Parts: sequence; structure tokens; C-alpha cells
Amino acid sequence: MLRCACLLLLALLGPLPLLGQTQVVGIRDLNFGPVIRGVPNAVAPTDPVRSGQFYVRHRIGGSVQLRFTLPTRLTRVGGGGNLPISFATTDAVAQGTAGSSVPVTFNPNATQTFNLVTSADFNIRLGGRVSPAANQATGSYRGTVTLNVTFF
Amino acid sequence: MRTLTRVSATVAALLSLATAAQAQSANINATAVVYQAMTVTGARALDFGNVFPGVAKSIAVAAATSGRFDLTGQASANVNLTFTLPTNLTSGANNLPIGTWTGCTNATNTTTGCTTFTPSGSATASAFSGTGNLFVWVGGTVTPAANQAAGTYNGTVTLTAAYF
Repeated sequence: MLRCACLLLLALLGPLPLLGQTQVVGIRDLNFGPVIRGVPNAVAPTDPVRSGQFYVRHRIGGSVQLRFTLPTRLTRVGGGGNLPISFATTDAVAQGTAGSSVPVTFNPNATQTFNLVTSADFNIRLGGRVSPAANQATGSYRGTVTLNVTFF
Repeated sequence: MRTLTRVSATVAALLSLATAAQAQSANINATAVVYQAMTVTGARALDFGNVFPGVAKSIAVAAATSGRFDLTGQASANVNLTFTLPTNLTSGANNLPIGTWTGCTNATNTTTGCTTFTPSGSATASAFSGTGNLFVWVGGTVTPAANQAAGTYNGTVTLTAAYF
């Protein structure tokens, strides 16, 4: 009886993910680089250098729910000002690592759920725009973008 | 029977663990560097003066008639310099070939000790001085043909500067 129960247990555990298979990593900062006072500046999510990037890994057949926590202002390093930042409805792109994966554009301001069909892992690239005022204090500005992922 | 009950309870617990949603998060930074606006002024025309048919004439960057651009911008900021250069000066329908471009940059308004480069459509990296100044000189060579038509020839040299 015990042997039968153990076989049942293994069969049930077989396709389930191991803890630790799931992963979300911040790969690259969203870097606007130099911007000029009074001149808005945008970074496209397809920008291979300046777009932000996260990496997410789960399992084929699983689902992931993505929710960004996005800043509305970057803070001047050393104090002395804020720089408005915004994200449009097409500023996020997800693409699986499998060669056949097609990029999916989505709204980073809204919760998004993906079912993993062809890739167990994928990258998310994030664009955005900053809008410096004409009298914006010069200097470096920084904010934090958080990607919250729930794995199902 | 007691054993089966225990095993079943274990299976139920593991199933519950495996199907529960897991949540993780990660951060990246969003960064920007705000610079003051840049100005680029064509301060002096590149002037070859009188030239003669069949005789090439060059103007060096240190010459009094070299072209000069004056730039102001963010102190110590890096800047790319890109040129749109004519291949001919024109006088009506007549062309006067121009080329062999030379350039030099300096943080102060003197060609003494300036940094030489070759102006082109490809970006040349430079930087503003600690006070936000940059001076750019341009020289070149015109090559009149032996039967070059007389006249006044003009062309436009455009400098595009961008922070990087």
C-alpha cells in the first residue's frame, strides 16, 4: 500500500516545477542618457542599448502575471529637483527566448498575464519618456522601476 | 490504513504547495542626465580668397581665414561633432571641387594646442570645457580646373553637435 502511494506521489509531482526554477532579474537600466532642459526625450522599448530590461523564467505551460511599479518622477541625485517620467501604452515589449517567439507589445501601466507556450523564459524591454522643464536643474536623476511577477 | 492516510495527507500538502502562486520582483533604475541647451554658431566663414585655374589652394585650420564654429553647452559634457560637407562650391551652374577637409577643436579660442581631426559625416567625439565652451576650426582644399570658369563660388558647411 505504501509503495502504491509513493508511485502516485511521484506521478503527481512529475510535471510540477521545482522551487527555484522561477526567476525574475533586472538586467539593464532604462537609461535616457543626456537630455536637454525643456526638450522631452523618449526611449523606445526596442532600443537595444537604452531600454530597460528584465528577464523572467518559469516553465512552458505555466503563466506569469506581470505588474510594474513605475515612477512618475526621477529624483535628482544630491537633491534639488524632480524630473517627470511617463510610460505610454506601448512602452513594454515581451519576447520569449525561443527562436520562434514573436515580440508582444503591452501596456506597462496595466497588469499583464502571459501563458508560456513556446518559451520557458523571456525578456521584457521597457521604454519611457522624460519631460525636463525649461528651468530643470542640470544633473543626474534616478528612479526605481520594479517588476512584480506572480508565477502560476 | 493509518499509513495510507498519512501518505495521502502528504500528497495533498505537496499539491497545495505546487499549485500555489509564487511572487517575485526585481528592480532596475531609470536614469537621465539633464544638460543645459547647446548653442552652435557659425562664427567665421572658410574663405579661400582668390584662386586661379589649375592651381589648388588649401586653407589650414590655423589660418586667419579658416572656418570656425563656436559652441556653448554643459560644462565638461561629451559631444559628438558631425559634418555635412560639400564636394563642390558652386557659381551658378559651375562647380569648384572642394575636399581634403581638416579640423581642429579647442576649449579656448585659439588653434594653438588644438586637437586635430578630419571633419566628416561620421561623428567625432569631443567635449566642452569646464566653462562650457568649445571651438571648432575647419580647413580644406579647392581644386580649380585649368578651364575653371571665373566667378564667386559658395558652399555650405554644416556642423551638427549632439551630447552623448
